[in-house]
Amino acid sequence: MKLVVIGAHLERGDIEPLAEAVAVSDLWLSGMAVEDAQPMGDRDLLLRVASVRAALLERATFIAIRYGFTAHSSSDAFAKCSAHIERWRRVLNEYRGHVEMTLKVAATAARARPDRHDFESGAAYIRALHDATRATDVSPEFRKAVDETLAPLAIKHRWSNRDTASLEFAALVKRENVAAVNDAGGKLKRDFPSVPFLLSGPWPLEVFADDHE
Amino acid sequence: MSDASEEELSLLETLDHLLDRGVVIAGEAVVSIGDVDLLYLGLNVVLANVDAIIRTSQPKQIK
Repeated sequence: MKLVVIGAHLERGDIEPLAEAVAVSDLWLSGMAVEDAQPMGDRDLLLRVASVRAALLERATFIAIRYGFTAHSSSDAFAKCSAHIERWRRVLNEYRGHVEMTLKVAATAARARPDRHDFESGAAYIRALHDATRATDVSPEFRKAVDETLAPLAIKHRWSNRDTASLEFAALVKRENVAAVNDAGGKLKRDFPSVPFLLSGPWPLEVFADDHE
Repeated sequence: MSDASEEELSLLETLDHLLDRGVVIAGEAVVSIGDVDLLYLGLNVVLANVDAIIRTSQPKQIK
């Protein structure tokens, strides 16, 4: 058997009986036990993990570990996670009671994704892809409205360029402010009906999991 | 937006966050060309056919 690891948590009680709990130092990993031969790309497994992940977040805030990480034992998990535990402890203690919300918005003018065949070297291609991603932007009016309506509801926020066609606003908010964030999203929808965006959440700690690095 | 569209978007977002967010623990690799380290990647290889997942899943099971 192997464990598909879902997240890092402060308390064992944040996990059980929703998922398996594995101690790593004084923290806990949540996960789902599957057969060793279980392919990670299996559709049903992916959906089960997503469902458990959502249930865990309803219980308590945790640091999301990207899907695909597995461990065969507690010592195996500790060996793989030991370098992160100090930071995870600080992040989990500081942000307990907080969740992430994200607003993904289509770029005003999507940049064409560079074609690998147009470049002689992989390095030049990677640089061009990076430049195209960094160059995407949204209308200043919409960005200003997000900064004025959503950002004040968050204790932290970040804009990031995720690809050549969209930007993302990530906000770390107190759980009790999730409804207010959704209300603000509704107002943005009314004020900017022609801007395609998607406000989603709550999510576990993903973007802000790297704080304290 | 219809309820079905919203459920589909919700599922897409859930899968996006599951597959593309969060802390990367394992699968680190250095991509080299010749003797030059070109990229240091946090790899997390998942072979999932997302189209198939969306078509055949039951969105109401996902938040």
